[in-house]
Amino acid sequence: MLLPSVQRGLRIGAIAFAILTYLVLVGLPLRLGDLALPILAGAMALFFWLALRGGKSKQDVFNRQPALLFTAGLSGGLTAGLLIAALLAVFVNLTSSGVRLQPIFDKMTPPNLAALYGVAPGAIVGGELSPLAWLQQALLLTVASGVGAALVLVERWARGRPTPRISALRWIPLLLPIALFLFVLWLGMPGVTFGGNNRGTIRLLAAMVTIGAGILALRAAHPGRERQLLSLLYLAGVAYLPFTLDQFQNSVLGIVFIFVMMGLGLNIVVGFAGLLDLGYVAFFAIGAYMYAFLSAPFSSPWLSAQLQSLGIPANAPLLSFWMALPITMLAGWIGGVLLGIPVLRLRGDYLAIVTLGFGEIIRLFMLNLAELTNGPRGLLNIAPPYLFGYNLGNPRDIFILGLIGSAVIAFSAYRLDNSRLGRAWIAMREDQDVAQATGVNLVRTKLLAFAIGALFAALAGQLYAARQTNIFPENFSLFVSIDALSLVIVGGMGSIPGVVLGALALKGLPEVLRGVDEYRIVTFAALLVTMMIVRPEGIIPSTRRRRELHEEAEPVVGEDVPSVLERLAPELKSDNPDGGKK
Amino acid sequence: MAVTTYSSTSVRFRQKTTTRWLVRGLGVLILALVAWRVVTVGLAEGYPATFWMSQLINGLVLGGVYALVALGYTLVYGILLMINFAHGDVMMIGGFTGFFALQFFMALGWLQGPAALVALALILIVAAGMFGSVLTGVTLERVAYRPLRGAPRLVPLISAIGASLFLQYSVLLIFGVSPRVYQKPALIEGGFRAGGVFVPYTGLIIFVTSLFLMLMLYLIVQRTKLGRAMRAVAEDKGTAALMGIDVDRVIVFTFILGSALAGAAGVMLGFHNTVVKFNSGFIPGLKAFTAAVLGGIGNIPGAMVGALLLGVIEAIGPSALGIPTEYKDIIAFTVLVLILIFRPSGLLGEVVSEKRA
Amino acid sequence: MALLEARGVTKVFGGLVAVSQVDLTIEERMIASLIGPNGAGKTTFFNCLTGLYKPEEGDILFDGRSIIGLRPDQITALGIARTYQNIRLFGSMTAIENILVGQHVRLRSTPLGAILQTPFTRREEQRAEKRARELLAFVGLTGKGDMLAKNLPYGDQRLLEVARALASDPKLLLLDEPAAGMNPRETEAMMHLIHRLRNELGITILLIEHDMKVVMSISDRVTVLDYGKKIAEGRPEEVRNDPRVIEAYLGPGILAETHP
Repeated sequence: MLLPSVQRGLRIGAIAFAILTYLVLVGLPLRLGDLALPILAGAMALFFWLALRGGKSKQDVFNRQPALLFTAGLSGGLTAGLLIAALLAVFVNLTSSGVRLQPIFDKMTPPNLAALYGVAPGAIVGGELSPLAWLQQALLLTVASGVGAALVLVERWARGRPTPRISALRWIPLLLPIALFLFVLWLGMPGVTFGGNNRGTIRLLAAMVTIGAGILALRAAHPGRERQLLSLLYLAGVAYLPFTLDQFQNSVLGIVFIFVMMGLGLNIVVGFAGLLDLGYVAFFAIGAYMYAFLSAPFSSPWLSAQLQSLGIPANAPLLSFWMALPITMLAGWIGGVLLGIPVLRLRGDYLAIVTLGFGEIIRLFMLNLAELTNGPRGLLNIAPPYLFGYNLGNPRDIFILGLIGSAVIAFSAYRLDNSRLGRAWIAMREDQDVAQATGVNLVRTKLLAFAIGALFAALAGQLYAARQTNIFPENFSLFVSIDALSLVIVGGMGSIPGVVLGALALKGLPEVLRGVDEYRIVTFAALLVTMMIVRPEGIIPSTRRRRELHEEAEPVVGEDVPSVLERLAPELKSDNPDGGKK
Repeated sequence: MAVTTYSSTSVRFRQKTTTRWLVRGLGVLILALVAWRVVTVGLAEGYPATFWMSQLINGLVLGGVYALVALGYTLVYGILLMINFAHGDVMMIGGFTGFFALQFFMALGWLQGPAALVALALILIVAAGMFGSVLTGVTLERVAYRPLRGAPRLVPLISAIGASLFLQYSVLLIFGVSPRVYQKPALIEGGFRAGGVFVPYTGLIIFVTSLFLMLMLYLIVQRTKLGRAMRAVAEDKGTAALMGIDVDRVIVFTFILGSALAGAAGVMLGFHNTVVKFNSGFIPGLKAFTAAVLGGIGNIPGAMVGALLLGVIEAIGPSALGIPTEYKDIIAFTVLVLILIFRPSGLLGEVVSEKRA
Repeated sequence: MALLEARGVTKVFGGLVAVSQVDLTIEERMIASLIGPNGAGKTTFFNCLTGLYKPEEGDILFDGRSIIGLRPDQITALGIARTYQNIRLFGSMTAIENILVGQHVRLRSTPLGAILQTPFTRREEQRAEKRARELLAFVGLTGKGDMLAKNLPYGDQRLLEVARALASDPKLLLLDEPAAGMNPRETEAMMHLIHRLRNELGITILLIEHDMKVVMSISDRVTVLDYGKKIAEGRPEEVRNDPRVIEAYLGPGILAETHP
């Protein structure tokens, strides 16, 4: 038993080494600065905890015997530590012998290397690695692995205890958002110095956590009176939020909610109807460009020429934001249908690739049809929305418009989900052929999904154009599709509150953590893969999706439960002599 | 009850519904439009025949590289029925590994040496690229795809998209934005003239190497025991497992084969385009996928034919249609979309699309 | 006039003629059976009737109009519904939701109506739900409406499939091996249900079945397919004594079993 646990340790250690090396190569230690040591050590302890804990039954044997658990953990830590130490030694010796690593590894600058040795400042003496640093790297990881192993034991102990059942405690998570909200308000008051220079960032973070916690609390509340009451309370709070935040905070939340609008639309296509659309940005672009054409026709060489030849002055918006709204929606709808028709016969992954191709084609056209779209120079001076002469183009009002738009779309999506069309979507997603044979018109149902999703994206696009006032083809790259898809998946496919949470986590958090912005896409990507493996149903799964993705987890009623037929059979004997005649 | 039996006054039915005819009509219309455009614009430009020939050669060279990558898509699709979205990026990693090997041999001075040494170095560089890609491909399979076997179809695809982005942006973070420039050894610089058409040496080498690797793959799949196991698993995983085939091993082997070809393609594309950078696998990957679909995905000869065809279409297309070369990516995407709409089973594909696609 | 008339229906897969020149006529309120050895083309024939496959030759008239070339959902709207040999319910939907999907062709509410919850939509949804519960009760699944389809016991899943098919108000119901995998008591109850479908709801029934006891006891008429061809047709006792059927399909063993 000892040997397998050491082997296991070696394996875990090798993986830990790979992860750390990766983090070093992408330059994270340098970016974290003084915090590198505690953060990396903490992350490693977390890693060892998760790795040692396993999850499959075959690893339980280690969990049950602390000695084996620690053998595995410590041998893993030692392995990782020694490997890292050796690698660092190689790097340092290369550097000291005049090889410049930076042309190969972009982030391998001397300060970055030094940051690696956050363990012991001064571990590099004259370009040489002191023996102390070797030891410290190994020691650090061994301690981290020990902590990880201890965490496994703590977790097991905690699991074994009965959970406290005090009904009043239930209210704590339900009322937590209110406490958070008050915290946000307090931070905004004059004279409060909490957080020093970071006060604004903390406040933005707290505001986002408040919204997220509110959504989670609403889900935890009992349906009925309790939930209704809380909803009203929270809605009032969120409506008041824009008036307490500053420009920057409002503008971040504004973009978050534009993505919520888009995500809710994509959620209909991907989550409800099960059609993986990777070119969704096309509809966002259609909305934005349509509004731009209507609002700033003078930016488009062709349009302004046309207008001039018709004798219409081309130096002013053709239509206001509100007048343009129905036209943008119609354009989105038509775009959805037009792009939907050719892909009707495609399923699953083919659909994904073709829609991706469409998205790229649209972008390339925006870039190259310079006569109409002004090419890479973009469409400029788009008008903000006005209401009774009052300019709504400031971040606060855009955030409010985003909130209203999101609410309207979420409400529509919720009602659609529980309608005849929503049922047809689910049926189609589960078994296309049977759905059709049961009477679902696949063409109509699919096109409606594309069209409704596209309409919502176009709305988001129009708001986006009004917010930016200048739009360029590069605003509509594949990554907007990927962002939108990520937030839908991370939030939970088919889950409406999940979209909001996903947008807060994926669009909001990176804004707060500005320093690590360059790691945003890598983090998304890793998150997508991890999510698919660990929790494909997302943070807030829609109940149905969870059922689909975790078939084995459901309590399956076995054959031992008699079916209705069987229970009815005896009494049938008497009233239906025909039944068993032969 | 009377039994009415009709002596079969059989009416012949063709598979016709309005939509299907509409789609067909649309297809014919598009073909006609393209032909008309080619005749009235492309041919009217009056390029000399040698121009078309050299474009054709360009197309074939590019097609050869696409074919290597397309084979990777097709192999994995044939066995796992999933699109390995990250395959283009696996190729890009091969391009990077090859680049570092190139630097290494350059530093050793082999590339300035006699022809035999240059040839050996080139072979080793390609081998290094293959090694880098194989390592990436196998890791990818282990980490991102294996845990998802048996999950609904969208799940591994999303994971593959994540893996693709992860590879690209990790390379961006590790190696930086600046492209790496492949320097050709002086020996293979230039080319020769055949009947007034200029043939670059690199092009010739790339084409021949591609053909050689494709032949090797064909032999492995058709003649070896593992190849037979692969075909069995592609046919029916469950039954193959019952026959004592280690399905996991076969799948890993498939990834090794596909990634090795992609690695070689990555290096050759590096020589062809002279640069590699973090996203240089994405577009060629999509095009290779297009090629695989064009030939009929899951079909090995189909991938080769489709890739050569796509390479040629892409090389000749812009001049033939009289449109700027910036639109050549649009041509490839359009071909993909049109093929998937009008003939999802591809040129050589069996009719599997309804069941599998 | 016959409810369903198939004339010379032929379906070819590659080189294999799965269904060859099959004629079939079904009168209203009849219980007809289609039998034959495995691979005789029974399910293929069903798929032709429901529009999943398009026959290469022949014509199928339902209620006097040709349904060749119609989509499956159009055929369902005309009044043909079916169940499947290997149960194909929408597993992650509840029993009630499955039946609601079955009613799809009979409902009229639009997406906009659903978003705005117009009085029409609300009334229609209430009616649909009520009808779904009635159908559930009809097949005997009262109280199981909110269970997930895939968590129902096997026999109940078969019943739910029947209920889902009934939800589209069919004139003709195609049952593909309704008693497959059932124990004798369940089989008996299923037969009783089939009788009720005809007697109480007036639905015409065509079923594929391997259990000869079922076939012989409930059918008004039996059609035998072998290698895609119709080799016999008639009342159960006629078919049972037809030497071609005995030779091609039943065999002495099965004959003995059906005559205890």
